[in-house]
Amino acid sequence: MTAAQPLLTVDDIHAAYQPGVDILQGMSLTVAPGGFVLVIGPNGAGKSTLLKSVFGLLSPHRGKIELGGQPIGGMAPHEIKRLGVSYVPQELNTFPHLTIEENLNVGGWTLRHDKARLKERFERIYEIFPALAGRKRDKAGSLSGGQGRMLSVAREMITEPRLMLVDEPTVGLAPNLADQVYELLQIARKATSAAILLVDQNVSDALRHTEDVVMMNLGKVKAAGPVSEFGEARVHALVQECLLG
Amino acid sequence: MFSTELVAQTAISGVMIGVLYALMALGITFIYSIMRMINWAMGEFYMIGSYLQFMLVAWVLGPDLWWLAILISTAGVFLLGLVVQWGLIKPIFKKPPEMRDDYATVVTLALLLFLRSIATGLAGPNQFTPGSTLPIMMIGPMPMAGARVAAFVFALAALGIFWAVLRYTWYGLALRAASQSRVGVQTAGIDVLSVDRVAFGIGVALAGLAGALLAPVFLVFPTNGMITTVKGFEIVVIGGLGSIPGALIAGILLGLIESFGAAFIDSAYQNIYGFLLVLAILVLRPTGLFGERGREA
Ligand SMILES: Nc1ncnc2c1ncn2[C@@H]1O[C@H](COP(=O)(O)OP(=O)(O)OP(=O)(O)O)[C@@H](O)[C@H]1O
Ligand SMILES: [Mg+2]
Repeated sequence: MTAAQPLLTVDDIHAAYQPGVDILQGMSLTVAPGGFVLVIGPNGAGKSTLLKSVFGLLSPHRGKIELGGQPIGGMAPHEIKRLGVSYVPQELNTFPHLTIEENLNVGGWTLRHDKARLKERFERIYEIFPALAGRKRDKAGSLSGGQGRMLSVAREMITEPRLMLVDEPTVGLAPNLADQVYELLQIARKATSAAILLVDQNVSDALRHTEDVVMMNLGKVKAAGPVSEFGEARVHALVQECLLG
Repeated sequence: MFSTELVAQTAISGVMIGVLYALMALGITFIYSIMRMINWAMGEFYMIGSYLQFMLVAWVLGPDLWWLAILISTAGVFLLGLVVQWGLIKPIFKKPPEMRDDYATVVTLALLLFLRSIATGLAGPNQFTPGSTLPIMMIGPMPMAGARVAAFVFALAALGIFWAVLRYTWYGLALRAASQSRVGVQTAGIDVLSVDRVAFGIGVALAGLAGALLAPVFLVFPTNGMITTVKGFEIVVIGGLGSIPGALIAGILLGLIESFGAAFIDSAYQNIYGFLLVLAILVLRPTGLFGERGREA
């Protein structure tokens, strides 16, 4: 173990929803402890599939995925969660008929036997998100789109993960709300020193928050490097290339 | 000629049987709400519950310990449900095939035939009854068979426990959450396949409990689960698939309609009245009284 060991290593993975149709075709990337990696790429590039594979919702049939040096490829999602990984899916991930407090309770499932710790985490969450604290007893279904996003991110912060996988958190949000969501991710990152692997189409905004960029196309890496190498012009040129094939 | 006494008696017996039908419907709806599949073999779990009750009372515990037999029979069906989910259903759910519902339907239909054949093979065409030593009881001014009253009280208690578990326990929270989003419980670190297992166990245990409770009333034979299952599905249509309050209210409604139809129109058509209500609901409100408007697939 060296200090430079990545938190997450995805190495040459191939994954499919149907046998024979590989969506990921040799995808690789690494995330440093506490790092921030942005994944961009055209629709259908396999960005969401990458996150699903890391979280165990889909198991790659080739290649390896390691968390802190431990292989996690093929593990079930609840096992991966226990190792300190959280996943905020692209679709709104709340339980509409449960109250906000119950939603957060579900998020604290893995801590349910540690009442003191759970209570402390709840206090922290309500401190960070006063808007949720004021509406504990309301059903999550009554939240606005932005508040719903807030709740799904907050729910995944309760376990104070080492790594948060976040899929297009600003899709369909008004620009000012989108800003709030990025703030939120930064807050989550600072509060828990979690690393973030963010998938986003809202490239120009996301670039302002990230440290590293991975551009995906057709299930593998098209370009990767620190954000300083991804000026607007280059991103634009890369996107054009992907679209033209 | 419609004396208040007769009306009251009819209402009471309707509610009493309706609650038992509701157990069955609740089992169907509960499994559906978590797993998004219909367990077509519910009646066979009812049948197994009734055989267990008969065997325990007739051969092991004796009629005085009928209540203990009920608990053991229900627990037995619960355990059987865990095994069935683990051996037959979970393998389907491990992969994410689009055809999951269809596979589940085929598997539970096969299970229905299998369990029914075993029962026929082992017990033959005979009909058994565990009997009941409970005396006739007075409900207000009305005399009622003790076994029916006991079944009603047990069913109410079971419904109360079911509700309290869902409402107040961590596992109940996981079950409620899983019925709203399977991905959601997975991101929370809950093993969704083990939630399925418990849900399936609870669902079939409700059928087994109904079978055990109704064994002295409706007799024990290999296809005795059929009528109650049909009622269970009728209730699910009336109340709305996936709705727990719907199952309860529609169960009582069906019990009342049957009971009044039998008392005031013609008892020969008892099983038809509920069916007419089902047809009316299908025309007027196809998702049932409390049905979900859309499926969150
Ligand atoms: N559940 C699924 N079953 C079958 N194919 C799927 C499934 N989910 C995604 N796909 C396919 O996999 C490919 C990649 O999808 P994915 O969702 O990973 O893309 P993405 O890069 O996240 O796109 P977007 O930017 O639109 O979210 C697409 O061709 C899609 O049709
Ligand atoms: Mg996507």
